Amino acid sequence: MDTVLLQAIINGLLLGGVYAAYSAGFSLIFGVMGVVNLAHGELIMLGAFTSYWMFAYFNMDPYLTTPFAMGFLFVFGYLMQKYIINRVIEQPHIMSYILTFGIHLMVANLALKFWTHDFRSITTSYSGLNAAFWGLHVPYSRLITFCLALFIIAALWFFLARTETGRAIRATSMDKEVARLMGVNIREIYAITFGIGAAITGLAGASISPFVIIYPEMGLDYTIIAFCVVVLGGMGYMPGALWGGLILGVAQSLTATYLSAGISVAITFLILFFMLIFRPTGIVGKGLEN
Amino acid sequence: MNRDKSMRRFWILFIIASVAVSLFPLVTTSEYYLRLAAIMLLWIGMAGCWNLMSGYTGYIDFGPVVYYGLGSYATAILMTKYAVSFFPSVIVAGVVAALIALPIGIPTLRLKGSYFAIATFAFAETMKQVALEFDRAFGVTFFEGSHGITLPLSGQSNLFFFYCVFVVTLAVVLLHYHIEHSKFGYGLKAIHEAEHAAEIAGVNTTGMKLRAYVTSAFFLGLLGGIEAYWITYITPEDVFNVHKTVQMVIMTLLGGMGTFLGPIVGASFLTLLQEWLGTTFVEDYMILVGAIIIVIILIAPRGIVGTIKEWKGIRFI
Amino acid sequence: MVVLECIDISKSFGALMAVEMVSFSLNQSEILGMIGPNGAGKTTLFNCLIGVYKPDTGQVRFKGHEVAGMRPHKICRLGMAKTSQIMEPFRAMTVFENVLVGALHGGQLNMAEAKRETANVLELVGLADHSDKSSTSISVPARRRLELARALVTGSDVLLLDENMAGLNPHEIDEALELLRKIRNSGKSLIVVEHIMRAVMGISDRIIVLNYGSKIAEGAPGEIANDEQVVEAYLGCRLS
Repeated sequence: MDTVLLQAIINGLLLGGVYAAYSAGFSLIFGVMGVVNLAHGELIMLGAFTSYWMFAYFNMDPYLTTPFAMGFLFVFGYLMQKYIINRVIEQPHIMSYILTFGIHLMVANLALKFWTHDFRSITTSYSGLNAAFWGLHVPYSRLITFCLALFIIAALWFFLARTETGRAIRATSMDKEVARLMGVNIREIYAITFGIGAAITGLAGASISPFVIIYPEMGLDYTIIAFCVVVLGGMGYMPGALWGGLILGVAQSLTATYLSAGISVAITFLILFFMLIFRPTGIVGKGLEN
Repeated sequence: MNRDKSMRRFWILFIIASVAVSLFPLVTTSEYYLRLAAIMLLWIGMAGCWNLMSGYTGYIDFGPVVYYGLGSYATAILMTKYAVSFFPSVIVAGVVAALIALPIGIPTLRLKGSYFAIATFAFAETMKQVALEFDRAFGVTFFEGSHGITLPLSGQSNLFFFYCVFVVTLAVVLLHYHIEHSKFGYGLKAIHEAEHAAEIAGVNTTGMKLRAYVTSAFFLGLLGGIEAYWITYITPEDVFNVHKTVQMVIMTLLGGMGTFLGPIVGASFLTLLQEWLGTTFVEDYMILVGAIIIVIILIAPRGIVGTIKEWKGIRFI
Repeated sequence: MVVLECIDISKSFGALMAVEMVSFSLNQSEILGMIGPNGAGKTTLFNCLIGVYKPDTGQVRFKGHEVAGMRPHKICRLGMAKTSQIMEPFRAMTVFENVLVGALHGGQLNMAEAKRETANVLELVGLADHSDKSSTSISVPARRRLELARALVTGSDVLLLDENMAGLNPHEIDEALELLRKIRNSGKSLIVVEHIMRAVMGISDRIIVLNYGSKIAEGAPGEIANDEQVVEAYLGCRLS
């Protein structure tokens, strides 16, 4: 096979795996609570910045910062749901997404105010190193992150399927009222779910910090990608996040390689727009109708 | 009877206020205040357009800036490439925006809630990318990509643009009045409250939504065209910028969605606030905007005017 | 004279056959009762008639038109209106405005005419005193009458009433029945879905019975009450 094509596909898959990782949290939150979290990108931004600051001040390897990012974002997400979003959770959905939009503005601009517009990046000893084979180049950091991404998705699946809390979360997403009757504290479950969603998103943010440019306004682009991924895969349908991510990653990579970077951005929006119009339940059709 | 009297009183006050505003340029000698007033009117118009569509129907549009941007580009291209003069260019800009809104609105308005919001946002961002990439992709000179388009120098004063904006904004405001008292308005509000029940009661929900969407697009196109000529230089990043959408949303939200005075109150307040914070505190303004959104949603979702309406039981403001 | 004719209507949702080959007709100035256990398909059938669902099979003939699959607002303007089991008032509007919407859009009247007609209908259903009240602040029976008024003001000749008496006490039911008779006597034709047996039996000229999506019986109230299949459907067993 043509090396350029193969490289583009590999790049796309690596990219896609990461997309899947940080979109899984978005899909989880929507699937359980019906909340479209427009501040999702900010969770990634905060995860990436956690990595950056720990790297800058403590010289910690970015991958080692991931547990800290997870912990911090879990608390952040949990508190945000518990004390802010929960207050509108029983009202029409429009309230929650305007609310998260307000949170997006506040968090992004607070970050901008305190950390300035400066673009930052993390350079480690292995930053520029690639695994080279068959004429292809696969950066080590992207490879590690890709594996981490798959791990995140598998761990989330395991958590939801096998643990007590996970079952409570699934029950709540299937039938809130019945779960309530079974003794599940819905608001608490919502807070925990958001915490978990935020934690894995923060983890994803930390895991991409070795190779992306980190800046306070980076969030919005990621929110859009997450949205595109879950619409492709099916809103609220966990495995869909993986398919959606891989498909989007490869689509972007191919257009960037053969057309231009700008057009690959346009492709993301076009895919999103047409999916919403023609097939809002995702490619496999298992997503939730709004 | 009491209701009719207070409505008449309100209407008289409104006419007086409109005349006063229209005479404002004649009483002020400061170019700064004139310009500020013109900007305030512009935002009242823009927020009003968003209110026409999203405020009344409840379909939260996150992409209205696209019609503003299309209007800007239509005017710029007509004036630079085809040597069309200003006024016809602006009218065409509005028509172009409306014509594009129609085929976009039909499929998009079938979506609900956040799907509609994201789809409209996606369309807006797509258009921005088109403006950026079109020329390079097709080897033509049309949108001029990120170089932007420089319009012919207007040689006109702030006074000229004040009145251009005033006319369009007045039209938008009067449209609000029409909505508050007409079949169209009741239809839109019914759609907001219970779309399903409205349809069964005979409301042509698709037709009404489309009408609101296209009308809003038309006026946004006009305003985009006017401002393009005013600031003389446009780029895709500027005229398709999501910040303009954010402004329209927050101004209407703060003032009161689906009310007559809402956009006027919200736009005036926030224009002044932004002016006060100046260009050095852009982040501060956005932080405040974010905070205002959160507070409004949690505490007073009907906005300033909406909450007053509820307290005092007034129906038509 | 037949005003509404339903022929072989079926509607399924995935594997669930909600309505299966149901046929019936409604005559001029008739009150047709529709009964059946919960989940029998009554609301789904109504939704097929009113345009909310497009039936999988069958035809709905109304005023010389084939209306199956037509959009609800068009069917309403043609002359068929429905009240909903789960009431949906326009919450931010007053009682008057709620009905006004129906007059303006369903009734296709101009503002002045619509306001007059709204006042008339509110008078008829006994809500005139509540005109300026918020639609959410009135009692349950009043809200039921609001649903009815909103359907009535559209000028529709055929009214489909889906459990319009749910939540009413016996005295209120009697008043509601009186109102329905008045409406029928003015020339309207009604299909009434109710669970309150004495109400349905008392007011209906004819009754059809649905169970598991099919029509299992049709006839005068007296016949239906004694029909074995009907009894079995409700009680789950035969009375020997």
